[in-house]
Amino acid sequence: MIEVENISKKYSRGTGVVVDALKEASFRVAPGGFVVIRGPSGSGKSTLLNILGCLDRPSAGSYRLDGEDVSGYNDNRLSRVRNAKIGFVFQSFNLLPRTTALENVELPMVYGDGHVDRKRALSALDRVGLTARAHHYGTELSGGEQQRVAIARALINHPVLILADEPTGNLDLSVGREVMRLLSDLHREGRTIVLVTHDDAIAAYAEREIVLRDGAIVSDRVQAPQPELQTTGGSQ
Amino acid sequence: MKAARITAQALRTMCRYRLRTILMMLGVLAGIASLAILTSIGESTKRDTLQRFKNMMGTFDTVIVRPGGGRSRGMPTLVTVPPTLRFDDAEAIATRLPEIKAVAKLQNAFDIDVKYRERSTAPAIFGVSDNWLALRSEDVREGAFFTAEQDRALARVAVIGADVRRDLFPGEDPLGKTIRVAGVPFEIIGLLRSRGAGPAGASLDNIILIPVNTAARRLFNRDFLTMLIAQVNDPEQGAEAAKAVSSLLRERHHIRPPALDDFTVTNPAAAMAQVTRARSTLTRILTGVAILALLIGGIVIMSLMSISVSDRQKEIGVRRSVGAARGEIVLQFLLEAVVVAAAGGVAGVLVGWGGLEVVTRWQQLPRVLLWQPFVVAMAMSLIVGTVFGIYPAWKASRVDPVEALRS
Repeated sequence: MIEVENISKKYSRGTGVVVDALKEASFRVAPGGFVVIRGPSGSGKSTLLNILGCLDRPSAGSYRLDGEDVSGYNDNRLSRVRNAKIGFVFQSFNLLPRTTALENVELPMVYGDGHVDRKRALSALDRVGLTARAHHYGTELSGGEQQRVAIARALINHPVLILADEPTGNLDLSVGREVMRLLSDLHREGRTIVLVTHDDAIAAYAEREIVLRDGAIVSDRVQAPQPELQTTGGSQ
Repeated sequence: MKAARITAQALRTMCRYRLRTILMMLGVLAGIASLAILTSIGESTKRDTLQRFKNMMGTFDTVIVRPGGGRSRGMPTLVTVPPTLRFDDAEAIATRLPEIKAVAKLQNAFDIDVKYRERSTAPAIFGVSDNWLALRSEDVREGAFFTAEQDRALARVAVIGADVRRDLFPGEDPLGKTIRVAGVPFEIIGLLRSRGAGPAGASLDNIILIPVNTAARRLFNRDFLTMLIAQVNDPEQGAEAAKAVSSLLRERHHIRPPALDDFTVTNPAAAMAQVTRARSTLTRILTGVAILALLIGGIVIMSLMSISVSDRQKEIGVRRSVGAARGEIVLQFLLEAVVVAAAGGVAGVLVGWGGLEVVTRWQQLPRVLLWQPFVVAMAMSLIVGTVFGIYPAWKASRVDPVEALRS
């Protein structure tokens, strides 16, 4: 599913200082995998996630997604890949303002090749248990509801890869657990999930853990998923 | 089609951000409304001037000859002109110049006492040839005009204008009645069609037409003309015809250089061209002002859209993350600008119509509703939306989704 070979990312920061955000990282994720990426702030997690999500291009190395080498793609082709193959779930939900839950879920279909299928959007909302809230604006929904709308939106085009960046970071514990249960269900259905988090309890849902430090992978190990792991609290 | 779906997104955004949309529309609305109003006014006053000119001059394919050299202002009368233009000058021009199709003679005076029973009025009396009406594209509304025979026979017949009819014959049929013009009885044989106002705004209907020979021999006792109108065969050759008339009259009046003409030849087409030119300048200035207003409207769109791009970074990031390519972001923002401008244009056209209605009533301009300024205004609003939407749309497409989504 994901084949990353020696990818690096360099940023030039204003005064000619070049920052190595990623240094020759390589790993593979098989279809249906559930991987958590961990590491301290500035370790390159976000950079890696943006590259995996085709929002950013690596400076060097190759990235194959679903058998397709996307590292040399231009903006148009990357946009098509994001639309057809990737679903994003963000920490701050990122629903469009002044837009209903249903319209948010329909959004990826606007940029796809088919038509905007309202029925499909409604059944996606049903999947996350929000049929009754379909015509509410984002501001009228609770945090947990907003994140579930975002998950429905991420699922609507049947992506092969779901990328979640601290999906529970803005939620309290019980609501966060609900969201994680949804993601685990998706994993059980065979979807590939890559998750970025600081939170041990959240990381415990994954079956593999990749740790980054200073842009390099320092640990990559398989773990037994422990959903509902009780820790001392929410995010550390 | 993806473009249609993106259009729907643009329209939805405009509806959801109503205040911003209205503010953006207002600028264009003001520009378009003023463009429509000012160009309409410019054009309709131009047409109005032309019409008044036509009212006075009749047709334009004529050359007008007045007695006396130099420029005289206003309509000549028997009291003001020198006796240099004779009846046989008119015959000579008509018969000897191939450029001239026909000649009408005029001998006129103003404020002549006219009575019918106990009523009286003081219209202009025009002694004219029987071809007068044809040369001036005027018309008899009721009854008939006098004939060449009646003119030769010094018949005392009159054709009266609308004002005279109103003053002397309220609620009465004037045809066949006898009026007294300066004491001389005349039978009314026809009523003139109303001509409205001349360039100075005075009525052209306070007039009585009588045969020119009758006027000369039975009324005024003068043997010279106040004016003659020569119709040219080829309207394009007005200036040449005027020159031919001049040299014929100089020969007949025995004028040799360096002596100056004792008559004045004018060509209405040339005079009209001058008036039209002056009016066109005014129209151009008004149009310039309106285009400036429209430009300001465009700048309003551009600045509000640019601010909105900064406010909508996150939205742009989300759209990019679900698969919007840069071109599709450009398309959406450009569409928003164009649709806002077009909506402002439509509103501006409606306001312009209303405004034009108010202005024409207030300034008592003729109500000439032209469609051209409105079509031009609509096209301009689309152009303004596109041109001033390009920069914000480009800016929107350059938003880095990674940066936008992080915040």
